[in-house]
Amino acid sequence: MAEDDCEWVVESIVGYLGSPEWVIPVTDFMEMKCTVFDDEDENKLSYTEIHLQYKKLVEKLLDNYMQEVGINEQQFLDACTSPIAKSKTLQSVFMPVLATDDFQIFRSLMVQKNMELQLQALRVIKERNGVLPECLTDGVDVMTELQQQEMKILQEVLRKSKEEYDEEMSRRLRLEEEVGSSSSSSCSDKPLVQSSEAQNATPAPSQQSDTSKAKAKGKGDNSSTNGHHTPLVNGNTLVNGKSVKKQEGKTAAAEAGDERSAAKSGSTAKPTAGCGSNSVESRVLPAVRAPVKSAEPSVSLSPDSKEQSSSLNAAESLLEEAHREAGFSKPYTELSASQQEQLQQRAVYLRQQRDKLHALKKEHQKTKQATAPEETPTTTTTTTTTTTTTTAATTPEVVGQSQRNGACTPPPPPLPLPTPPPAQHSANSSKPKEISAEERKKLQKRKHLADKLKEEVIKKPFNCCLLHRKKVYLS
Amino acid sequence: MVFRVLPRPYHSFIQQGLLSVIEKLKGSTEQEVRIVLLGLDNAGKTTLLKSLASEDVNTITPTQGFNIKSVASHGMKLNVWDIGGQRKIRPFWKKYLEHTDLLIYVIDSADKKRFEETGLELSELIDEENLKGVPVLIFANKQDLATASPASEIAEGLNLHTYRDREWQIQACSAVSGEGVQDGMNWICNNIVNKKK
Repeated sequence: MAEDDCEWVVESIVGYLGSPEWVIPVTDFMEMKCTVFDDEDENKLSYTEIHLQYKKLVEKLLDNYMQEVGINEQQFLDACTSPIAKSKTLQSVFMPVLATDDFQIFRSLMVQKNMELQLQALRVIKERNGVLPECLTDGVDVMTELQQQEMKILQEVLRKSKEEYDEEMSRRLRLEEEVGSSSSSSCSDKPLVQSSEAQNATPAPSQQSDTSKAKAKGKGDNSSTNGHHTPLVNGNTLVNGKSVKKQEGKTAAAEAGDERSAAKSGSTAKPTAGCGSNSVESRVLPAVRAPVKSAEPSVSLSPDSKEQSSSLNAAESLLEEAHREAGFSKPYTELSASQQEQLQQRAVYLRQQRDKLHALKKEHQKTKQATAPEETPTTTTTTTTTTTTTTAATTPEVVGQSQRNGACTPPPPPLPLPTPPPAQHSANSSKPKEISAEERKKLQKRKHLADKLKEEVIKKPFNCCLLHRKKVYLS
Repeated sequence: MVFRVLPRPYHSFIQQGLLSVIEKLKGSTEQEVRIVLLGLDNAGKTTLLKSLASEDVNTITPTQGFNIKSVASHGMKLNVWDIGGQRKIRPFWKKYLEHTDLLIYVIDSADKKRFEETGLELSELIDEENLKGVPVLIFANKQDLATASPASEIAEGLNLHTYRDREWQIQACSAVSGEGVQDGMNWICNNIVNKKK
């Protein structure tokens, strides 16, 4: 008789502990209060206050429940002490109840909840930004070192990267002075640009290596024209901070020539010996810079662009980026005033064209693809245009970017029609890249947090691949 | 004849009923003892706690909050609560005194200038309702220092002999070296066992 009674009460209690009437307020409470609960050994005084509030909440809930069901405390006690309630499965159900009395249980529940929420936040970040920095994923696999060691290394890495950054900055300042271009842009983005240069340049060097010889010739002329043109360029590309930077970096790079690349390889080799992109960068940069100084930019450019755009399908983004690199700075530094005028006209044309594309895109996704080719004569460019429009259509942000970029893309290509789309496209592809890199910096901070969390959750010492982290940091 | 009116105020339920429920739910046969470890700042409470738990005592910083360690001793589970002793934290002490089975009060035996202060704090604790009749163990800590006063002197200064309403003990010790700590714990266990059985 008494046994049956107990069973019924236990079932009822367990049912209640799984019901929304219990779960919602308790979960709400935990989610709201868990933020102060960290995994430090020492407890904060505020924990006690929160624990007290929790006790009161549970008291209230249980009291309401007992009234509702019509059992008294004795029955409740008997039920809870019955063998059924002591089973392993039910013990976890009773955890939140136990937490009222046992601060340690309460604390562990809260710490766990806090961790869950933070991991959730990280997941959201990941979903929103695509992928978390690879070092985050590496952290899972390469967890061998202790946290202390990890922190030490991290600090070392941070210090080194700071050194490097300073070095880079001072070098850049020097170069800028040499060039005489007063337009200063946020230098923090430059490394980015260069790394993308490096990546994209890999296919390019063979094409451009011959033009690199021309660089020496053009150099004399350019240095004089630079003074006039750079401001102009800036005026054009004001909207697009990156293009300005890029160009600046480019001209600067060109001036410095090989000595710079030497310096670069010296500086970059230090932190990430195994880092592929960096080593490539140092090797390739001069080659990329070469076209900047080519005597006949318009001639050298268009073949380049065509070649590249034809091979777009294979390695689209990389090539395009490189193409844009080549396309951008070349004409500006090289072209005469009249040519620049032409370019500006083309810019207007391109803007119109782009607007048309946008309009079409908005009207029909499908017809847009049909109309895009009409506007752009070359078949190779057709593909790129469509890609541009589709990407732009899918993400409004990208549309805005392409618009902004559109203003500065026109200058480079000598022929208005064939080149713009690739330029547009490349601008598109590069823009998100830049954003993602900026995001990456933010993500890195969070990532560190995530590391800690992971460590706590998985209960294993870990070691993030610091080289990767470093890489991200640099890029 | 006492009428039992339902529902009774829930605090009574929580304080007695739920407690026993939970103890039984835990399924532990061990007797659990709640010990509160108090004393002025820099008395060596956390060091003592870590010493009890056989942990490293070289990396201890002033406690801003509180630490909890569970130590198994004499077939009992001692849950020791070490609460920071800085002046600004002391008002929080009384929040931790409920259901306390034993008070450990730690004194820096070499800090003569603050003997009066520590005595005042102790007498306030003794008067706490929640500590009524609760046995108190005083650790005359830092006996490893040359300037440390002997336990008997401290006991006199604290007027321990006037405590009539509870068991008390003063134990000279050095939390750093561990000397005397175990003696204190033995007294605790014997005392608790006597009291609870």
